[in-house]
Amino acid sequence: MNLVATVLSGAPIQFPSISYSSILPEVVFVGAAVLSMLLVAVLGQRDQTYGYTGLGVAAALFGGIWSYHLSQNVNARGAYAVVGGSLAVDGFSTFFMILTSVGVLITLLLAEAYLYKVSHRGPEFVALTLLSATGAMLMESAYDLLVLFIGLEILSISLYVMVSYTTSRRVSKESAFKYFILGGFASALFLYGLALVYGSTGSTNLGNIAAFLSKNTLTSNGVLLAGMVLILGGLGFKVAVVPFQFWTPDVYQGAPTSVTGFMSGVVKAAGFAALLRVFYFAFNTLRADWQPVLEIVAILTLLVGAVLAVVQSDAKRTLAYSSINHAGFILLGLYVASAASIGDSLYYLFAYTVMSSGTFGAISMIAHLEGRTEGTLSLADLRGIGRKYPKIALTLAILLLAQAGAPFTIGFLAKFSVLSSVVEAHHYVIAVIAMVSVVIAAVLYLRVTLSMYTPLTKDAEIDRVSTDPEISLGAVAVRVDEDTDLKVDAKVPVAAGLAMGLSVAMTVGFGLYASPLVQFASKAFLLR
Amino acid sequence: MFPYLEVLVFLPAIAGVLLFFFPSEFPARYYRRLGLSLSLAELVVAVVMLLKFKTGVAGYQMTSSYRWIPSFGISWSLGVDGISLFLVILSVVLFPIAIFGSKETRDPKSFIAWMLVLEAACVGSFLVTDLFDFFLMFELTLIPTYFLMANWGFSLGGRAAVKFFVYTFLGSAFLLVGILALVFIHEASTGQLTFSISALAHTQMSSTAGRLLFLAFSVAFLIKAPVFPFHTWSPDAYSQSPISTAIVLGGVMAKLGTYGILRFDFQLFPQASRSLGWLILTLAVVGIGYGAITAAGESHLSRLVAYSSLSHMGFIVLGLFAFTTIGLSGAVLQMFNHGIYTAALFLLLGMIYSRRNTLDTSKLAGLQSKAPVMAGIFTVVMLASIGVPGLNGFIGEFMILLGAFVSHRWWAVVGVSGVILSAIYMLWAYQKVFHRKDPEQRGFKDLSVAEVATLVPLVILIVGVGLFPSLLLNRINPSVHKVLSEATPASSYQSSLGKVGR
Amino acid sequence: MAQYLPVLVMAVLATLFAAGSFVASAIFAPKRPTKAKGAPYECGIVPRNAAAERFPVRFYLVAMIFIVFDIEIVFLYPWAADFRQLAAFGFAEVVVFAVIVFASFVYLIGNGALNWGPQKRVEPQVDLDVSNEDSLGSSSSGVRAA
Repeated sequence: MNLVATVLSGAPIQFPSISYSSILPEVVFVGAAVLSMLLVAVLGQRDQTYGYTGLGVAAALFGGIWSYHLSQNVNARGAYAVVGGSLAVDGFSTFFMILTSVGVLITLLLAEAYLYKVSHRGPEFVALTLLSATGAMLMESAYDLLVLFIGLEILSISLYVMVSYTTSRRVSKESAFKYFILGGFASALFLYGLALVYGSTGSTNLGNIAAFLSKNTLTSNGVLLAGMVLILGGLGFKVAVVPFQFWTPDVYQGAPTSVTGFMSGVVKAAGFAALLRVFYFAFNTLRADWQPVLEIVAILTLLVGAVLAVVQSDAKRTLAYSSINHAGFILLGLYVASAASIGDSLYYLFAYTVMSSGTFGAISMIAHLEGRTEGTLSLADLRGIGRKYPKIALTLAILLLAQAGAPFTIGFLAKFSVLSSVVEAHHYVIAVIAMVSVVIAAVLYLRVTLSMYTPLTKDAEIDRVSTDPEISLGAVAVRVDEDTDLKVDAKVPVAAGLAMGLSVAMTVGFGLYASPLVQFASKAFLLR
Repeated sequence: MFPYLEVLVFLPAIAGVLLFFFPSEFPARYYRRLGLSLSLAELVVAVVMLLKFKTGVAGYQMTSSYRWIPSFGISWSLGVDGISLFLVILSVVLFPIAIFGSKETRDPKSFIAWMLVLEAACVGSFLVTDLFDFFLMFELTLIPTYFLMANWGFSLGGRAAVKFFVYTFLGSAFLLVGILALVFIHEASTGQLTFSISALAHTQMSSTAGRLLFLAFSVAFLIKAPVFPFHTWSPDAYSQSPISTAIVLGGVMAKLGTYGILRFDFQLFPQASRSLGWLILTLAVVGIGYGAITAAGESHLSRLVAYSSLSHMGFIVLGLFAFTTIGLSGAVLQMFNHGIYTAALFLLLGMIYSRRNTLDTSKLAGLQSKAPVMAGIFTVVMLASIGVPGLNGFIGEFMILLGAFVSHRWWAVVGVSGVILSAIYMLWAYQKVFHRKDPEQRGFKDLSVAEVATLVPLVILIVGVGLFPSLLLNRINPSVHKVLSEATPASSYQSSLGKVGR
Repeated sequence: MAQYLPVLVMAVLATLFAAGSFVASAIFAPKRPTKAKGAPYECGIVPRNAAAERFPVRFYLVAMIFIVFDIEIVFLYPWAADFRQLAAFGFAEVVVFAVIVFASFVYLIGNGALNWGPQKRVEPQVDLDVSNEDSLGSSSSGVRAA
């Protein structure tokens, strides 16, 4: 109303201060995306993709470093909101922006390895990844539901294209279509929820919503609760929690593997960032209403993810279900909803992003070296790769064991920290359930790792496999020619090697030298 | 001072991890020699540590601590006392023997690497003095064991490994939740977030909380030991593991369970340990009888040893929950002894298997005349396991029964039956395998020099400890005494003091 | 959880209503189909061929590009109306916006999005599954991996 009156009166409009330095990572990402599109249009050079990847990697590095710089600023001077109070710059958002930058970095390096060659569209991939990451960053720092929605859409629309990137494959098309339809549906849910929340609180600004809810008690809050549940549904779709998980296995399987890594890392992080901020901050006073819902959702997510992961036979579907299990853990941090538990969720997200992007990277390397189109790498195909591709197998083994929660890795500490918050809040039963799901999932990871090192020879091994349904992973134990066990001189592209090395280094490094990351995550406070 | 404990934990850990990155083209013997020399170096360090160990000191010695993750209150702390000393010695003695006695030809590099990692995890579990570190090490033992069992085990190794893993990890689930709950109860009452065992030992908590935590901790340890009725993974695991892993599993890792009971249950929840002791005692005694009877009916030698192990672990638990110094000391001593003779038994079984490809008593016969040396060594080891005076098994069992008889008469009475039964099934099996006439008159090679060399150290330990147990007890007693005095209310402490025989 | 009971009741009611409608129409609706009734465009003219026809995909492409610029114009109107009040700040923002849209235009031209007419292919397509996809990238890059 005020704005309209001002415009009509003809007086100069007061603009909100933008603080460009605070949104510089987003600006740089968009700029790099536009630049790479322009370059390909002007130069027409598509086959030499190093330049474009370099541009994207430089943008990601800059985004990460600048976000770290911002977080130091926040530590020194406290959190603040920019762009008219619609974006928050706080420990929380800067943590996530660093996480996003790391995810983008790994994704681009992995995609450089082969995706460009397959699709002939390297520059566009860089642009789409950066744009999608911009949307993720907007979601992570959004202090207003509308900005959050815009971020969600920027992220999603780029992602729909990325999922269908290898259009020549039917399964990729199918998964992209599924993701698009269901994603649109989720966006609609979110938007509807947003409208209901706006209707009952009178604002879309998270700070205003929180202030309104803490000052007023609604006598009839049905509309607000409905809005809250719809928002949970919309965001729950993006992070794939039960019962919004049905798309996950199909899409993870169908999408190019580096995109799958991006989805399981960056996209999941963005969705959780929004969930955490909206529920833990804006709807904090309603926690009596959402905690029981989240409790059930978290338990189901943990168990469904773990149990269904065990019965899969495709590598990427397995990892998709295991990512659902991981999402359950992250959700537990929100369910407990204490300052410490939010920090634990963040730590878990960081750990998971690092581990999963590396895992998907290794899977995609193996699929390519084995000459398979993506999405068809079954777990039985992993048998014996320990001898064929020792380096990749070792990488995959470390990352899988880390995902299982092996000691001295980031995965163990992540599970440990979330569980410690759960126990601290006296939810012992849930802690035990979570641990049981870890046990189930761990069996899976161990089996996959084991099968990589099970040789494919003609002798006694085959008999052993066929009598043992535990190791044969539900797939038929194939009698294979002798030469499959020969060592192949596998050439891993430099970029992919770099990405996987980075992922392993972080997984093990932060597992041993744990304090910095733990500290960083626990200091990632939300703007109040 | 030389950092003995750090070296003990990190030498095999780092060596094992680095070994994974080695090329795997070299012949198997190089990897085995490397593994053997590393584990022998470990043994030397441990022996020097043993010599430096001060007798008559109750608390931790050679302690060190490094603040690892301060915001979680986690530090990396090492220390050794009379309880852990001989378990460490047991580990470093058995690992070189297991590596030396191993026959694995497939992927020898990974095999040795996993063995070294497992050694680090086992030794680490005994040496850490921080609950978080303990859990870490306790978990770390599972991963190498899983791979060793599944990848190098017998035909059903994969299934046995999964069973083993799921059982133990489920136990750990309760352990982790219990650890966290204890830590937060401690933090609530003192405002200090720490995982240090000595700090947590004096946590104030309600008796219900104490009992629940006691049960949560105990489940993990009872599964690991194993104690009836949590033992069902063990016959499969023992019989499907490669011999080297079975040695570690029965010799060292089973002790993690009883060590956990003594170190954590008793020190952290003294009251609950006393009030719920009857429950664990009953399970232990049932296990003694059940294990012995099942062993008597078992025709597969590995499974027989597994069940006999169940019976013997029951004795150790009986000694622990007797809550007398003599019982506890006997239990600690028996942990060492049981490890030694079980390892020797598994080695012998492995040697029989490598000659006949079976461990079924009905298919083995008449080995005595063909292989007198093996029969001789087998007799010594078997008699130690039965508990014949003069050999190491006797001292432990005798002290345990003595201690238990004083405080828990009827359980001890039932427990004695296990001694008799063990004589029956062991002699019976021995008679079938070695003295029965072989109708087919197949050949059987006697032990080679290398095989005898593998067994001799264990035989020396069996006889030596049997003759001079006080060398061990001098070092064990002060720590056990300390645990007991802290776990005992002041009034009953006086009366139990009077019963300390030695 | 009690407050979620109405939601549950609502869900059950909705399901019942939907199912009930189907069942009721299946049972009660009169069914007297004739050929004329079943035909499309029931307005007197007998259809000669199928209604759905294939347009060249390029048509949609151009239409979408048109819409993008249309939308840009829509955004420019309010800015133009309040040009003075929005001052330098508004001008800068619009320039940024226009530059980004223009960049996309450059990209489209550069990739031959407006090249109307039959496409020249250097190499015949082998993979049948790829035949009708990919109208953006192929004309400029020409050769594609067979």
